[in-house]
Amino acid sequence: MFWKVSFKQDLGTVIRTIGSFVVFGSFAVGAFYFSNFVTAYLLENVKIGLFLFHRFIGMLLFVFFVTINLGNMVVSFSTLYRTPEVQFLLTTPVSYLNIFVIKFLDNFFYSSGTLFMVGFSVLLGYGVYFELPWHFYLVMMFGVLVPFMFFAACVAVIVLLLLMKLASKINFRLLIAGIVLLYIGQVYLYFTVSSPVNLVREVMKYYPNVDMYFGSLDPMPLKILPNFWVSEIMYFYVTGNASAVVGYTVMLVMSTVGLFLFALAIADAYYYSTWIMSLSIKSLTMKTLQFKNRFFSFGSISSFSPHVEVLLKKEFWQFVREPIQWIHFIVMMGLLVIFLSSVSTLNIKLESTDLQAVVYLVVFIFNIFLINSLALRFAFPMVSLEGNAYWSMRSAPISATTVYWIKFFLVMTILGVLSIVIAFLSNIPYLFVHKITGDHPWIVEYIVPKYQVKILAYCSMIITPIVTVTLVSLNFGLGSVYANFIEKNPIRIASSQGATMTFLLSVVYLVLLLAVYYFPATMLFSADMKRQPINWSMLQIVVGVILIPSAFISVAAHIVGIRSLRRDF
Amino acid sequence: MIELHHLCKTFGNFVAVDDVSLSIPSGEFFGFLGPNGAGKTTTIKMMTGLFTPTSGSIVINGFDVAAQPQEAKATFGYIPDHPYLYDKLTGREFIYYMGGLYKMEKNNLKENVDRVIDLLELASWIDKKTEDYSQGMRQRVTFASAFVHQPKTIIIDEPMVGLDPRSARIVKDSLKKMAEDGASIFMSTHILEMAEELCDRIGIINKSKIIFLDSKENLHLHKTKYEGNLESVFLELTKESDEE
Repeated sequence: MFWKVSFKQDLGTVIRTIGSFVVFGSFAVGAFYFSNFVTAYLLENVKIGLFLFHRFIGMLLFVFFVTINLGNMVVSFSTLYRTPEVQFLLTTPVSYLNIFVIKFLDNFFYSSGTLFMVGFSVLLGYGVYFELPWHFYLVMMFGVLVPFMFFAACVAVIVLLLLMKLASKINFRLLIAGIVLLYIGQVYLYFTVSSPVNLVREVMKYYPNVDMYFGSLDPMPLKILPNFWVSEIMYFYVTGNASAVVGYTVMLVMSTVGLFLFALAIADAYYYSTWIMSLSIKSLTMKTLQFKNRFFSFGSISSFSPHVEVLLKKEFWQFVREPIQWIHFIVMMGLLVIFLSSVSTLNIKLESTDLQAVVYLVVFIFNIFLINSLALRFAFPMVSLEGNAYWSMRSAPISATTVYWIKFFLVMTILGVLSIVIAFLSNIPYLFVHKITGDHPWIVEYIVPKYQVKILAYCSMIITPIVTVTLVSLNFGLGSVYANFIEKNPIRIASSQGATMTFLLSVVYLVLLLAVYYFPATMLFSADMKRQPINWSMLQIVVGVILIPSAFISVAAHIVGIRSLRRDF
Repeated sequence: MIELHHLCKTFGNFVAVDDVSLSIPSGEFFGFLGPNGAGKTTTIKMMTGLFTPTSGSIVINGFDVAAQPQEAKATFGYIPDHPYLYDKLTGREFIYYMGGLYKMEKNNLKENVDRVIDLLELASWIDKKTEDYSQGMRQRVTFASAFVHQPKTIIIDEPMVGLDPRSARIVKDSLKKMAEDGASIFMSTHILEMAEELCDRIGIINKSKIIFLDSKENLHLHKTKYEGNLESVFLELTKESDEE
């Protein structure tokens, strides 16, 4: 009977399971090789040295930490305060603290499964390059990676509990705005204090002895951050300083345990009272909404067709009345502004052609990753967020194809405009090379480049929107295939198994993109150094090579997406 | 007018609806009864386009639901068994939204939204978000959204879920009035008294097949054979099927 039940699967499910296995497996292998290649490339070709390499790892880990932290905070708000399951559990003889612990751990492991897999693959690639012993992987996985991620989750839940406690005294929206600004401020502060450009300049003074430890260059405030400890553990593992590895590992584990106990203490004191208080926040918003003839009001006259009009208005109100949606959007936009303001003033006058190509490609791929994150977070859940009310659309005289395209074009327009803005601003250094005038160092002179570097800016500005269309198509189409009409939390939808699969497929596409783009980018920088005139045919070749697979992926995603919308509901 | 021709639906090896044929003329109030899991909701979901039939066809007001889904859907209103709405919209916005999906002209839509709000007595809470509604309030909004485009046919799955006696009375009266005005109504229900009170004809489905189909007048003849009420007829018929 057990076997009958376990194996009684339809062919579609079996294919999907095998597909998931193949994609996850391939991604793990890909992440291994990628990490191994990048390590070798940066240390052997670009020769940045062990110290700078690990400081860059530290910076990436900071971004990783903030991402986990924010993700856990938003999901925790939803699961600890807004789910009917918690409401039910509170009526049972289970202690408040137990409910808190169960939901908190559920959130952490639910959203971290894939990150563990990716983390391990990346560590393996890194470890194999340095020929590190077996215990490195064990220590890094269970003594470093898990505590590090758990540290971020604990900080998130502590901030959330304190936020909810404060919400009874301060206006809730004001509080949310404050927290958003605080997070954006801390990212800005981190990169200002860590000052990567200064660090590179200072370390490079000692070239070729760049594998040395330059700990004196690290600003003091950064040394108390867990991402710094992790990068130190990795550096000292590679250089064979066992006592430093043990010291930092113990510090990380002890801090995490301490933080977890602190979270439990705060939860014990505040969880139930803040849960009760969250009901009053809800009742504050439970007001009668004025039905005025404003632009987005359902009663206002519109020049759109009725189908387009009501679907756009529905999407608009569902978005602006759902705090999880707009808070997350504002946070992501804030981080985007910080990133763009840093990149648009980037100094690209580096000595090595390889280093120039790396900087250019890193900025390019970071742009694409940003767009992919937005697509995964906002385009993927769009069909699922129809929820059980999808019956209203399916039983109405509107075709699934029309619904699909209206929703797709809505998200595509928003992300498309964003991608153009991102592509333009991040390419300012390549479009207008800035030069600080000698007599007045505060005056910056912009010069339009005459050589190959300009082509790269055009390539980016053409390719980024093409890639955006592909990524939004992929995320939206597969979001329809993996639609979950039961789950109401968009963040959980965006971290479901289907979303993870989609993310991994996007990454495979991005790696292909990078592989295609690497050669012409290096070549153009080399030509730029030699002051060779602009070669426009290179632009056509690069765009052509990227356009074909992108078009194929987009069309395939739309076909499966539309077909999925016609499934039985 | 609703016509079901040899309708079948299977899920893997499980046959949910087996060769169901029915014809419901305009102006008729048809009651569709059956025990849990008999195939009522599956039949309704095929009629409304939520499920694709495995075989057979459905024609509503002259339009084949498979071949001309948009035209067919434009002629009916549907009230599902679970009144799920968009949580972040108000009741009024949801009704406007449904009117838009039926491509109603804006001024006509406004008049009809006001009409159904009055008809179903929704005015005191219709501008609150639906996430704050009770089950009965949600059910009344789905009725309003199905009535707003003045359909020729109404398809209802379990209409009285969560309705208080006053709301139930309002809904019954509205449905009676619509049938008198020439609309065909297809209603699945568990409430036998309601079927007896409202319906012109009754069909009973059990284990995916239609096992009883007759008018209210002829039903009385069946009733005399049993204990004189519809419940006995229903229990006896479904019991006989169980024994098969």
